[in-house]
Amino acid sequence: MIPLHLPVVAEAERPFVTRLRSGPAEERDAATSYLLDEHATSSTFAGRHGLIAVDGVAAADLHGDIVLVQPGAGRLERLLRARSRHNTLLVTERCDQLCVMCSQPPKKTHVDRFALFQEACLLAEPGSLIGISGGEPTLYKDQLLDLIGNVLARRSDLQFHVLTNGQHFGPEDVERLRDPLYRRMSWGIPLYAPEAELHDETVGKAGAFERLEESMALLMLAGARVELRTVVLTTNLTVLPALARYVATRLGFVEIWSIMQLENIGFARNRWTRLFVDHRTGFEFVAAALDHAALHAVPAQLFNFPRCCVPAAYRHLAVASISDWKRKYVDACDSCRERERCCGFFEWHPDSDANAGARPL
Amino acid sequence: MTFLPLRTRALSNESAVCVSDGGRFFAASTAFIGRLADERLSDADWDFLAREGHAVAEGDALAAAAHAFAVSQRLTRAGPLDYLILVPTLRCNLSCSYCQVSRVGVHQAGFDWSEATLAAVLRRLDSLPGNRIKIEFQGGEPTLRPDLLRAVIDRCERFREKQFVICTNLNDLRPELLELFERPDLFISTSLDGDAATHGRNRTGGEDATTGFLSNLDAVIARYGPGKVSALPTVDPTSPPDIDSLIDSYACRGLNSIFLRPINFQGFARKRHKASRDLAVGWRDYHERFVRRLIERNWNDRTRFLEESYFSICLRRVFQPGRDRHVDLRNPNPMGLDYIVVDHDGTVYPTDEARMLSRSGVIDLSIGDIETGWDTEKRELMNRHATNQFDPACSRCAYQPYCGRDLVDDIARYGRIDLPRHQTEFCRRHLHMFDLVFQLVYDDDPAVRYSLCRWLRLPGTPTALGAMHR
Repeated sequence: MIPLHLPVVAEAERPFVTRLRSGPAEERDAATSYLLDEHATSSTFAGRHGLIAVDGVAAADLHGDIVLVQPGAGRLERLLRARSRHNTLLVTERCDQLCVMCSQPPKKTHVDRFALFQEACLLAEPGSLIGISGGEPTLYKDQLLDLIGNVLARRSDLQFHVLTNGQHFGPEDVERLRDPLYRRMSWGIPLYAPEAELHDETVGKAGAFERLEESMALLMLAGARVELRTVVLTTNLTVLPALARYVATRLGFVEIWSIMQLENIGFARNRWTRLFVDHRTGFEFVAAALDHAALHAVPAQLFNFPRCCVPAAYRHLAVASISDWKRKYVDACDSCRERERCCGFFEWHPDSDANAGARPL
Repeated sequence: MTFLPLRTRALSNESAVCVSDGGRFFAASTAFIGRLADERLSDADWDFLAREGHAVAEGDALAAAAHAFAVSQRLTRAGPLDYLILVPTLRCNLSCSYCQVSRVGVHQAGFDWSEATLAAVLRRLDSLPGNRIKIEFQGGEPTLRPDLLRAVIDRCERFREKQFVICTNLNDLRPELLELFERPDLFISTSLDGDAATHGRNRTGGEDATTGFLSNLDAVIARYGPGKVSALPTVDPTSPPDIDSLIDSYACRGLNSIFLRPINFQGFARKRHKASRDLAVGWRDYHERFVRRLIERNWNDRTRFLEESYFSICLRRVFQPGRDRHVDLRNPNPMGLDYIVVDHDGTVYPTDEARMLSRSGVIDLSIGDIETGWDTEKRELMNRHATNQFDPACSRCAYQPYCGRDLVDDIARYGRIDLPRHQTEFCRRHLHMFDLVFQLVYDDDPAVRYSLCRWLRLPGTPTALGAMHR
């Protein structure tokens, strides 16, 4: 695993955002802290906010990272790693849903860090796609849309992808989201079933399905870009074909539909045996959903499905979805020709299952 | 509950296909059609209609928006100009019996782009706003001027996405052409009318020339693979070739797509092939037998799939609006906006057929020229009529959402665009196409479904492609 949080000692009193630079620099800018000194995996940087001493990672690996330094907590967060295509900002840990498989269980407290995040985004590597996640980001919808709008207005090269439960869009958002600026962002929204009962049960909130439909209509009218997300569970496996019909009929505007395999973390860890579907044996429902989506030109993709466990006809839909910092491969992957195109496994995926299923292609 | 309008067309004696303005469809029993007509719909009927997007429940904003979205998907919105058909020369080294244009002899002077025309084309390319370009070189025989092809292709380097198609008779493979062919973004389009005898009779004239063409075709396929080449057969509907031998002439070369094209009622064909103005029932029978034969062959040999390209395009239009960029079948059919034709003298036409018709002296459908522009009143006039949306016949037709409008074809055949639609060849041809599509969509034969799913580019073969309500 690539560490995202590192111990730090910093001179400053208050949290701040800076870019780290380990190489020589011809011109110095105020947003950057430059390497002063380096011992094995401990490095000292200096910039506008004074000295920062970081432990645990070689300076060269930190080069270009946009980091948030919290002197009080002695913690450095690598917000936007220069060498990653998978940077995600966690804007809140509060959430108003309680999904059975939640990989990032919510907390009650919220620390508002939008200003720091905006600073970080403005420093992002050219052409970056920045993910925003939670908790539920739209609980702070105004700050969120301000952050995104401000950054996109000043950085025409950037894009955003926001994970949201779609419970908080209102008619007042339609006009705002129609601004062409917001064409450079998309919303990732989960939907688990084609009807209220099972969806509401899955997300742990009565009325969620109906509220989601309301939001979807608004997002459609706003011309918003939506990535629909469905995690495959034992509870919704058999309704996937019906869900595909629902999507093609009512949500044809979505940019893409991601059908996702379960992640063994958060709530899913303790409920694994009850929720996890071995798609090597249950793929026919997934296949029927993918066929129906393809029939009606709804682009679909498979997340977290190792390619060797997907029938050949559907393999091209299984993308390398697992972020680099939490991805692992098992022994069988060493000689696989499709490794580069494959998601591999989550770092926390049970080895017994991974080893049993993986075979080189 | 609000019921969304449906149009129907008989599928058999017991059923009809019902289509909404957004192109959603289902097959229904005549009993249901009766209940619909008499306003005696049952609760089960209403449930079905709502689930399938044909009725909107009170307060269901998503269903209303989804219907509006589906309708919008059926309408073509012309983007910026990014597709140019260029005719760098009208000269040709062949003289086919149904030549689409008034081609001129290979040695005639004054039928190639002038320096000024080339310069104007290049300037236009520089001024295009997008970062995507498709260029198709037509003729005449464009490969007689590889220097012009190269000049245009070189000028397109700045585009992020580019595709070049050279429409050539492959009669003469000169080294400077082969050098161009090396580009992976360059494709070759040619004509292959069937076996050597048929091809010779229609096109090359002599046995030697036919052998030369076929060996060039095979050489290009051997070097670059069949993906580099698309070939089309032009078929004389009064004496079409044997179906299997036509298919074989493609299949044996690894060419899986066959765009069965009846002689276009254009150019010399107007004189020499008078019967092609109104294609007889015979042609549509031939087409259907051809498609059904492909289905049998695909079922018997599942290592590959063959298709009739135009049938596939029509099939995909039913399920997947916007999937193909086939400019001959769209609605509205924007004229002179996102694609244009630039003739050998720099004149700009909205379509290649418009160019041919103008060349033949029937009517001048040019809309401008490459130097001074083509944002003209004539273009505007054509665009005002380039839709099937408000046509009295089309608005009663179940297939309207899938179909298109072709003004130029109407003018070519009838000299006018206001003939009742169902009296036009365009309408008859597409009624046949979509009738065949729905016959096959509701055919239970696994062989039929297998081919349809390949033509629709599905990974698997689902048990049904359309809903049925009794």
